[in-house]
Amino acid sequence: MVSAWFGGMGAGIFAVLISTVLVDYFFLPPFYSFSVSTTAEAYFGAFVACALVASWLSSSKKQSEVALKEARDELEIRVSKRTTELMKTQADLAHLSQVLSMGELTASIAHEINQPLTAVVTNGHACVEWLSANPPKFDKALLTAQRIIEDGTRAGAILGRIRALFKKEAVARDWVDINEVIQELTVFLRNEALRRGVSIREDLAPKLPKVMADRVQLQQVVLNLIMNGFDAMDGSNNSPKELAISSALEGTSEIRIQVEDRGTGLDPEIADKIFDPFFTTKSQGIGMGLAISRTIIESHEGRLWASPRSDGIGSVFQFTIPIGPKGSA
Amino acid sequence: MIDPAPVVFVIDDDASVRDAVKNLLESVGLNVQVFKSTEEFRQASRPDAPSCLVLDVRLPGSNGLELQEALARAGISIPIIFITAHGDVPMASRALKAGAIEFLLKPFQKQDLLTAIHHGLERDQVKREEQAELAELQSRFDNLTAREREVMHLVVAGLTNKEAGARLGISEITTKMHRGQVMRKMQADSLAGLVRMAQKFLPENRR
Repeated sequence: MVSAWFGGMGAGIFAVLISTVLVDYFFLPPFYSFSVSTTAEAYFGAFVACALVASWLSSSKKQSEVALKEARDELEIRVSKRTTELMKTQADLAHLSQVLSMGELTASIAHEINQPLTAVVTNGHACVEWLSANPPKFDKALLTAQRIIEDGTRAGAILGRIRALFKKEAVARDWVDINEVIQELTVFLRNEALRRGVSIREDLAPKLPKVMADRVQLQQVVLNLIMNGFDAMDGSNNSPKELAISSALEGTSEIRIQVEDRGTGLDPEIADKIFDPFFTTKSQGIGMGLAISRTIIESHEGRLWASPRSDGIGSVFQFTIPIGPKGSA
Repeated sequence: MIDPAPVVFVIDDDASVRDAVKNLLESVGLNVQVFKSTEEFRQASRPDAPSCLVLDVRLPGSNGLELQEALARAGISIPIIFITAHGDVPMASRALKAGAIEFLLKPFQKQDLLTAIHHGLERDQVKREEQAELAELQSRFDNLTAREREVMHLVVAGLTNKEAGARLGISEITTKMHRGQVMRKMQADSLAGLVRMAQKFLPENRR
């Protein structure tokens, strides 16, 4: 039994054989002989059977304990693997939500670029007309050419801003002007706001100190809060549909950003759930936007929270970002 | 009747596009008035001249397609050329079904815009001539006496003087006299001419 426990089934059987021979030699009549008398055969057979069964039981119990331990180890490995995967998925989702919002922005951007482009082409035609007139109208042609330069420059500036917006940097923190982040986004969201009949009001405190932050991540948070505001107002009949974004110095150490909508508002019952991952009130939502936003803000040592608007219509989302320890750059 | 010079109205919320279109149209000798919203266009006093409208689809406040519907409801039939940065097929088909001349994607080519504008102005010119003629006929008709109108209705419906007189309870001679007055006042040179006029402005004779 003992050998079966430590050595497994093979060793167990070997031990049974040895002990069988010894028992035969010492205990079965005729004693001190390997021969077996016919009367002792039955006892002998029973001994062998018992020994085999005991050995088998012992060995299989040992095996199942080993299997259990292996299973537990494997489980631990799998759990840690899955945790890693989950963390990666969360990071992917963060990027996904960014990409999705960027997708929504594409139409807006196309419009922004297309306008100066249209002006350039149209003015180009006009310029040709002024020059082909008889006599040619040089003053008009000159003015038109100047406008072409202006509109071309404007298109270039828009492209530059988009490039800055889309640049995917490694988590690199730099001095960021938060007002600039807000203004870039509102420019690109103007068309989307128009489409939804929403007006955007900006109340940005001038000359705010810069903050040490990941620019792309901050853009993502502000974009998320604005899009949420839009969605909340899509689902309500409140009028006027206005989204107010403000920035202000909070004390001496923080900047506070506030996004107010006049939408459906926050049900107190769900108010503390909205930041949970995969919690959503939108039919098309995956419930990651606010969870990711809060993670981002907290990784910047700030806070993100929501409350109803003071007049009871709509909600206010606000976050703080600490100003760097050594002040602004 | 000599019409005043045609005018092209342009509504676009983007200042540079608006000014560029104005610049192009002026370079080919057209009169242009620009507006930055549909509201501004509707509040403005517009000259009584052949005109057409170059209209951006996406505008703040009420958009281009809504303006098209509102103008149609108000009985203002100004020809419309839509310009848009991101048109889709349903949008274009909606605009064209509602009578738009053309649906152009920005940036558009000069010739496409000018062709559409000339087409629009021409259509408006024809419509204005028809309306002027109609107004003229209406004022001639308004000069008829009640009896003369009765006679005119019956005559253009194909009744003879005798039948019309019998219907009205007056003699054939009197009917003939009224009919002569009708022909003179309406400036019709024949019965066929009078029937054509009646078809244009009398509701019961319109097809």
